Amino acid sequence: MASTSAAHTAVPASQPPAAHKSPVPMRPAFKPSRRKTALTSPVAYLFVFPALAIFTVFTIGPTIYTFVISAFKWNWLNTSQNKFIGLKNYQDLVTGAIDPPFWSTLGTSAYFVVAMVVGGTVISLPLALLLQQASRVFVAARAAVFLAHVTPLVATSIVWVWIFNPRYGLANLVLSWFGIGNIDWLGNSQFAMPAIIIYSLWHEIGFITVIFLGGLATLSGELSEAAKLDGCNAWQEFWHVTFPQLRPFILFVVVISSVSSLQAFTQFFMMTSGGPGFDTATLGFQLYQQAFVFRKTGYAAALAVVLFGITVALSIVQLRSTRSIDTPS
Amino acid sequence: MSQHAFSRRNFMHAAAATSVMAAAAAALTACGGGSSAASTSSQSVPADSNEPATIVFMEAMSSGAQKEALAKMTADFMAKYPNIKVDLQEQPDYGTLQTKINAQAAAGTPPTIAQVYGNWADEFAKSEVIVPLDAYVAKSDDYKNFYDGIKADLKLSDGKTWMWPFNKSVVVQYYNSTMVPEAPKTWDDFAAAAKKASTNGVVALAIDPGSSSGPAGGTAMFEILAQANGDAVFADDGTPQFTKDGVVKALDYLVDLKKAGALVLGTKYPGQVALGGGTGAFDISSVASYPFNLKAVGGKFTMGVAGLPSGPKGTANQLAGTNIALFAKATDAEKAAAWKYMQFLTSPEQMAYWVSMTGYLPVSKTTLDVQTFKDYAAKNAFVLEATKQLDNAKSLPSKSWVNQASGSLAQALTDAVNGTSSSKDALSKAQDAATKAMKAAS
Repeated sequence: MASTSAAHTAVPASQPPAAHKSPVPMRPAFKPSRRKTALTSPVAYLFVFPALAIFTVFTIGPTIYTFVISAFKWNWLNTSQNKFIGLKNYQDLVTGAIDPPFWSTLGTSAYFVVAMVVGGTVISLPLALLLQQASRVFVAARAAVFLAHVTPLVATSIVWVWIFNPRYGLANLVLSWFGIGNIDWLGNSQFAMPAIIIYSLWHEIGFITVIFLGGLATLSGELSEAAKLDGCNAWQEFWHVTFPQLRPFILFVVVISSVSSLQAFTQFFMMTSGGPGFDTATLGFQLYQQAFVFRKTGYAAALAVVLFGITVALSIVQLRSTRSIDTPS
Repeated sequence: MSQHAFSRRNFMHAAAATSVMAAAAAALTACGGGSSAASTSSQSVPADSNEPATIVFMEAMSSGAQKEALAKMTADFMAKYPNIKVDLQEQPDYGTLQTKINAQAAAGTPPTIAQVYGNWADEFAKSEVIVPLDAYVAKSDDYKNFYDGIKADLKLSDGKTWMWPFNKSVVVQYYNSTMVPEAPKTWDDFAAAAKKASTNGVVALAIDPGSSSGPAGGTAMFEILAQANGDAVFADDGTPQFTKDGVVKALDYLVDLKKAGALVLGTKYPGQVALGGGTGAFDISSVASYPFNLKAVGGKFTMGVAGLPSGPKGTANQLAGTNIALFAKATDAEKAAAWKYMQFLTSPEQMAYWVSMTGYLPVSKTTLDVQTFKDYAAKNAFVLEATKQLDNAKSLPSKSWVNQASGSLAQALTDAVNGTSSSKDALSKAQDAATKAMKAAS
């Protein structure tokens, strides 16, 4: 085998002798050698440089800059008036000195994230099981479900504001058929967040369903057939055969839903402006409101650093879940 | 090739260090530089050199008659002064306008002039990005003819004049004359008429309180009611005083209307939508809503317009709309050109045209003598009544925290009207939040 012989010649002198003695690890010995050559070549960095430069200017630089701003009482109109205040913005954050208190914002975010993750998974998984059949009707249904996800958030948010209109909205019309009186969906503290969650689920379940459909397509049919032969009913087959195989996909959905829900902004901006009061002011919305409405740029930067930390933690979980999808047990 | 000369680790370290240095350099530059203070020339009126100049006017007159009228006035100005080019940079709404001005000022490239609210101007003045106009107004003949309320509105708490008037309005009542034959004269009459009209699916009044990000018309109406009861929601220095008797009574008044089925809260101009759709009897809104309300009604019935009812302590109103601020970064030639343009917009002839097209109010008394205005007022008698209020109407104090504090008031209004809190408790909570906002801003 050509590749095997090449591997022999490419093994560096520093490679432990055991690697040469083993008859099997020829490919592993070949891989690091080639990778190392690529990474030590200045030409390779020349190719990477444009992307890295853009990433540095538009992502890494601003991220570091955000950390800097969070240590200042920042006046963006006249930066000569900026004042270094160290960790004061973080202190305000922990003590709740600024309205709305940080812990309350975190609670509002958690409410939205949990509802989106649980709701999205619970609705999308049965939907995917239903739509996995390959008939024309179900393929059309898949497209229909996914269609909501590709609609623009701004435009559909405005449509849903009218659906939730307390006097003329479709939502209250439907409720009136069941004898339920008018609800001020977006103006009432109790209903504002559920209303936004309903809209957000409508927008997101198409995407999650497609991920589950992809997962279902990779499952082993033999295990299901064996379960049926052993007398399993549909529920037992799902719970004991299908569901365990889907776990990596469920974990993936949980992580990406958490990250995207944490960073959600448009629907809050368009539908409630964070209100009533601060009842729908999540962490993502608060960044905007503190920086651009209340002009507390330094405090907003501190919020951004916290959001960054949470997102990094979730991204690590996401990376691990992706690996577990690549290498299913 | 030596691996030590260019290792991946070295490269990544170099990239990271470069990023940190770039950010640190940017931060240091930002800390040390920034917008310069108003130049010496900004303290006096630059000489009119008739040099060619291009000025940028950032504004939010982006639709309907407002857009059309401003475009024509600007074209007329450029025809009169061919050496001056005015670049109208229109924004879709005031929120976007504020964001754009801030972004450009932060980048060191603000417009020459822009529409601003008083609380924006307060922040701009403190940050030294706009120039005071005292020296300018001292030389203006038109300024002397401005209504007293307008003159007061151009000043900030330091007593200096920082703005020049543009689109000013007060609040009036629009009503469906089929449901309400005659405009109520007092707020008690208004409540009685509203309750009487609220039958067969009609809810007489729909208002939008706004949100924590900013109050809307419903909160403005509440603030006017409180003032008519003898207690302004803010003291002159901007201190919130939401728990005063007159304020609590104003909120109780709205709660009572809600309980009687004569009031509903909504968003996106709910009063205009309901009045136009025949499901509302009143819309309490700015006089500048006139063309929009007429369009919403569409000739289905006769829409009456009248001044606001009076309360126990007389008639109260709120001066609304924006002024124009001149930015410090402009060159002397641009400042001189901008000053000419600002004066042109408020000259009696131009102002009369502006009023007749948009429904805004004339800022100077001499405008009332122009034939265009006389013709307009002959068809719309309410304009004269509304204009009289320009001597007394006051806008909210020009303090940077007032918008956030009014957001707390909007929340109190929502809570009390929805029945989740008593008027007193809701206002007490709002007072605490507003005081917190004031302290944080100070």
